[in-house]
Amino acid sequence: MFILKKWLLSFLLLLLVSIHVSAQEGSDPLKAQGDLKRGLLLTPRAFRAAVAKVQPSLVTIESFGGSSTVAGKIGGIRKQGEGNTTGLMISPDGYVVTSSFNFIEQPTTITVITSDGVRRVAELMGRDDTRRICLLKIDDVRDMPVAEAVAPDGLRVGQWAISVGVGYGDKNPAISTGIISAKQRMGGRAIQTDANISPANYGGPLLDIEGRVIGICVPMSADSRSLAGGVEWYDSGIGFCIPISGGEDLIEKMKQGQHIQRGVLGVKTQDIKNREGVRVLNVLPQMPAANAGIAKGDILVGLESIAIANLVDLKTALERQYAGDEIEVVIERAGKQQRLKVTLAAPVTEDSEDVSSVLPSRRRAQPKK
Amino acid sequence: MKKMESLRDLLSDKSNLALRLLACMGVVTCLTGFSLFPLPLFGQGLDGTFEEAIKQSQKRMVKVYGATAGRVDGYASGIVVSDDGLILTMQGVYLDGQNTRVTLPDGTTHSATILRRNRSLQLALLKIDVSTPDFFPLADRPVGQKGDWVLSLSNAFKVADGVEAMSVNLGVISLRTKIDARLGSRDVAYSGELVLIDAITSNPGAGGGAVVTVDGALVGSIGRVINSSETNTRLNYAVPVDTLNRFVRGELPSDTAQMPKRKQGTAYLGVRLFTLGGRNQPAYVERVIQNSPAAEIGLKPDDLIISINGEKIGNIREYELMMKSISPGDELIMIVKRKRKLLRVTVQVTAKKS
Repeated sequence: MFILKKWLLSFLLLLLVSIHVSAQEGSDPLKAQGDLKRGLLLTPRAFRAAVAKVQPSLVTIESFGGSSTVAGKIGGIRKQGEGNTTGLMISPDGYVVTSSFNFIEQPTTITVITSDGVRRVAELMGRDDTRRICLLKIDDVRDMPVAEAVAPDGLRVGQWAISVGVGYGDKNPAISTGIISAKQRMGGRAIQTDANISPANYGGPLLDIEGRVIGICVPMSADSRSLAGGVEWYDSGIGFCIPISGGEDLIEKMKQGQHIQRGVLGVKTQDIKNREGVRVLNVLPQMPAANAGIAKGDILVGLESIAIANLVDLKTALERQYAGDEIEVVIERAGKQQRLKVTLAAPVTEDSEDVSSVLPSRRRAQPKK
Repeated sequence: MKKMESLRDLLSDKSNLALRLLACMGVVTCLTGFSLFPLPLFGQGLDGTFEEAIKQSQKRMVKVYGATAGRVDGYASGIVVSDDGLILTMQGVYLDGQNTRVTLPDGTTHSATILRRNRSLQLALLKIDVSTPDFFPLADRPVGQKGDWVLSLSNAFKVADGVEAMSVNLGVISLRTKIDARLGSRDVAYSGELVLIDAITSNPGAGGGAVVTVDGALVGSIGRVINSSETNTRLNYAVPVDTLNRFVRGELPSDTAQMPKRKQGTAYLGVRLFTLGGRNQPAYVERVIQNSPAAEIGLKPDDLIISINGEKIGNIREYELMMKSISPGDELIMIVKRKRKLLRVTVQVTAKKS
């Protein structure tokens, strides 16, 4: 049976190849048209099969309490709806990953309904402001169904993408289909899709055609670091998701109750004409750069083996780092290069001020038995 | 129906012989260069995948113009549903003017009379005195399931004028669901099933437009712009074709917009909630009245009422609404959070003492 499956999979691949080849050759337009049509008619079945595959690990999140009193908007951004939100089970012992947007109103109580219909109290463990995701834990469970994730490296722009969420209030999830529009967005953290992404599926998965999880749907914006930045562009054809495959170390940190934030150097810098590097104009006292001995007038030329030619390079290189990371910075002072160790700090004003009072509990993750 | 796990399983599923055959034919086609496939199902030309469905549908659609009043748009889309000039469109204030006009695909404009309206479904049936040989047959059962491709056709933003054809968007059916199933939600007065789609239709003028399958079969009629209180986003949806059918045949009451009158609420549970923070606060129990149903089942101060009879109780307002819908003697199934545990209790409410 297994071999048969393999055979059939290869048949399918060959079929796809043949469609591709005949479409490219254009030798027989009628046939190409027929194949296109047939492939198209098959995709809805594949969409449904993909969603059915992830459905057991889909959870409904209910929030109680919080600051939902501002009419229409909250903190200048679009208010969260009154309905439930979506999450995804990522471990058999009850860890659920979801979008931080779902808790923007600082609920005092969170409950999670798993796909078997059982409702349990959930605890907010940690969150990652750089990815706008957070981790919930439900107690006393084991053998929860976990979704299969797909590594971001294997993804191709143009491949099918299906967003899934229960935000419309039905246990049956709503879906939207589209393609992967871009990879490596938002400092390499997000994948972009044209499938509808909105409060109806923030926290839910974006799937590939085989039902594997590409990432968790979140609002994102290049202009705003607020946790709700980007929600105003819901259903616009510009949507983002955060891959979970490859981010296991970050998930582990969140399990420990950590709050992951972007790393800050604490320098004011400027591009330099006719040479590579950025000039340090000012060093903020008590901040990482100052503590490491970086001084006014130094020229930054490298950060963690990335050459810094200008401000854009510096921003890109810093976006890959987190508060608390010890990194190596290469500076030039009086014509000589020096390598300095710098421990990055968290931003002075939190990016997530909207939800800053929802402090994740510092409860330790339960040790594996 | 067996649950399909993935495309691979789909193809290896024994019940899908046709699919497997198709895959094998694909291989033969690929290896030999000869096509075993019969001629294309329909559609000619290199990429006319959706062309037939669109062409066919556009012949069956109209532009509706009414009165502009303030910020209310004076136009909508419509679909022809009979050969003698019956037009289905979106109900709205724009139909209250002196003169409602319908522009057919050939560019001719005709004065319309309003036969019937349904405010809860936001539908109106118009009649023009001209024969309309191209019309959508109305199925008496739902058309299309979740994941199916759909085309939405409408005159959104009044982009098309006169003989110009309707605008088309491609999407899939997101979900068939009852939006108003939740307690207290008043997004739509209609309690039946709606078809949510992922093509964007929540724009001025799109209401009354058509949502069709890739075969051109009518899935439903695009609904007016509404904001979902669940998500605080605009909904893209259609009123399903079987409901349209019943409306056209006069099987739906002409106006069911009146909400059922709220009962005065005579049921007595015997708890007082923390109301200090306002009625948007969660339903925490402040005090349990002695000898009340609540005391009998052991509710305690600081318990949080999470759900009653399967409905989420997000705040005090929702609790009060729920209690109003309950009669003395009814049995409630409540889920209550106490510390970190959820308790499920059953309680029979009594009558309020006057």
